[in-house]
Amino acid sequence: MAIKVRGLDMNFIQRILIEPLERFYEQFLTFIPNLLTSIALLIIGVVLGSILRLIFLKIFRAINLDKIAQRIGLFEMFARKGARGSLSAFIARLIGWIAIFIFAAIAVQSLRIPSIENLIERFFLYLPNVFTALVILAFGYIFSNFLGRAALIASVNAGIRRAGMVGRFVKLVVFILSATMAMEQLGIGRDTVLIAFAIVFGGIVLALAIAFGFGGRDIARDYLQRNVNHPKEQEKDIEDHINPL
Amino acid sequence: MFQTIDGNGPRSALKRQDVQTKLSRIGKADILVGIPSFNNAHSIGHVVRAVQAGLAKYFPDKKTILVNSDGGSTDGTMDVVHQTTIDDFRSILVSHRIESFSKIAIPYHGIPGKGSAFRTIFEIARALDVKACAVVDSDLRSITPEWIELLIKPVIGDGYDYVAPLYHRHKYDGTITNSIVYPLTRTLYGKDVRQPIGGDFGFSGRLAAFYLTKNVWESDVARYGIDIWMTTTAIANNFQICQAFLGAKIHDAKDPGADLSAMLFQVVGATFDLMEEYPQTWKRVVSTEHVPVFGFTYEVGLEPVNVNIQRMLEKFRLGARELGPIWEYILSRDTMDFLTGLADAPKEDFHMPDRIWADIIYSFALAAHHKVINKEHLLKSLTPLYIGRTASFVIETREASGQEVEDKINKLCEEYERLKPSFIERWQ
Repeated sequence: MAIKVRGLDMNFIQRILIEPLERFYEQFLTFIPNLLTSIALLIIGVVLGSILRLIFLKIFRAINLDKIAQRIGLFEMFARKGARGSLSAFIARLIGWIAIFIFAAIAVQSLRIPSIENLIERFFLYLPNVFTALVILAFGYIFSNFLGRAALIASVNAGIRRAGMVGRFVKLVVFILSATMAMEQLGIGRDTVLIAFAIVFGGIVLALAIAFGFGGRDIARDYLQRNVNHPKEQEKDIEDHINPL
Repeated sequence: MFQTIDGNGPRSALKRQDVQTKLSRIGKADILVGIPSFNNAHSIGHVVRAVQAGLAKYFPDKKTILVNSDGGSTDGTMDVVHQTTIDDFRSILVSHRIESFSKIAIPYHGIPGKGSAFRTIFEIARALDVKACAVVDSDLRSITPEWIELLIKPVIGDGYDYVAPLYHRHKYDGTITNSIVYPLTRTLYGKDVRQPIGGDFGFSGRLAAFYLTKNVWESDVARYGIDIWMTTTAIANNFQICQAFLGAKIHDAKDPGADLSAMLFQVVGATFDLMEEYPQTWKRVVSTEHVPVFGFTYEVGLEPVNVNIQRMLEKFRLGARELGPIWEYILSRDTMDFLTGLADAPKEDFHMPDRIWADIIYSFALAAHHKVINKEHLLKSLTPLYIGRTASFVIETREASGQEVEDKINKLCEEYERLKPSFIERWQ
């Protein structure tokens, strides 16, 4: 009886404790290489990220990326918003982090955990959209700066008192347009194309209205001088009556 | 930077069959006078008559041709050129013509602008193997037959390659010339050419052919940049240069539609491009040489010009308020501080010293050289500063005579010369 009880106890312990532990041990032994591979990949990612950061920093400095950024107006973002370092340092750091992130994702995938694998697969399928959206945003920002500055200078030279507002407005409209396109790429807000069209169309109408206003301002001024301000003849402007060349 | 090419470009007006027929009928010519035009029907007739009379009176034994290179006028400019003629030469000639006179009026090809018109004139000069050429503006009201003699004679008779004009102009006329182009040309290239962008020039057939070897016809040179490009190219390539005193320059008022900032951009842009083209030439120059002057110098009466200083000051102040962040990339801290103070100054205290102005121009040249910001943005942001400088000049010279104004411009040139060594240092 005592032996039976002892045999039963042994079976119970074997089934309840030993076997799960053995299974865990076997799984752990199978998991260990994956874990080690994963840690190794992560370390490689960190090292490679640092190396890439340094290499790209040198390349960007060699090609004078900061000067190019200044020329196209991108530099202003960094100067005004007090971002640390230069644009070349920022992009080099970004490239380093992207490398680390990619290796981290591969490391996680190498753990062979089905749910995480599935999640990462979906994430990687979505990644091209994110990348495209980022490119659209970056170009949108560059164009908005460029066109905003062009509008500002043109408005100042045309003598518009609210020139700063015109420049900021153009910059904002272009950036909003690029942001809506980026969101469309990410699948956020399916109606954004319609909104973007409305913005573009509204912008064109506004631009035409401004252009018409500029084109006709001399006629309007002459008309007002003749009919409203007749006794007080305006002095002639040097730009209108002598040749500067 | 400019490149060198050979032959007529794909946009050459000479490729047209009718033009080739006309040219083959003429064969060769000794003298060519070119008139670029665009909607100048009301003024070009006088210019054509003056040219025709000048050629008949001073070069009766030379085979001559008048070329009107038109930019697509819609007011019948080319018809006026064809129809204009001097019926009775007896009043101006003491002897009869021996050689022939021909006239061609053709629309030029390429970018609309004065430079493209000149290109067609150079091509015709080369095709006809002419010895001497002259170009005169189509809106001139003060041109006389003597201008043709003065622009052509130094080339035909004295072996000069380039004849720059010398005029008496109103003290407020030619402000880009007086404040930027003349001081820069004189300081950089060491030749005292007083009107480097005067618009009316004489030059040899050899120089016209040389101009055509340069591939500049898609740049600002195709527009208002042509004048400074012709002058600087002639100086920097060691062609023989002189000046001809033509008297007063009176022309139509500037087209009100013409954009000042675009004009400034094209002229100053071409000047800065030429600095990139010939750095080894201008870096070596340390003094200014006098350039010989042909013609009898005399005083002339000039038409008065009204100036609205208040509006100019407003434009400068607007620029200082809105474009300050852009100027900060280009100008030194000291200059920026000065401009900020100047923007707040009342009209009676408004004064932009020569030192500040020369520093501004050199700083913009350096910003263009180092490509600090987009070139068009850079040069167009110069407009309010130029207007401010012009306002300061007008305030300071309100009571000044012509000679006093010349002395003042001379002092500005000396300031450019004083700052040149540090400019060369910063250029490296």
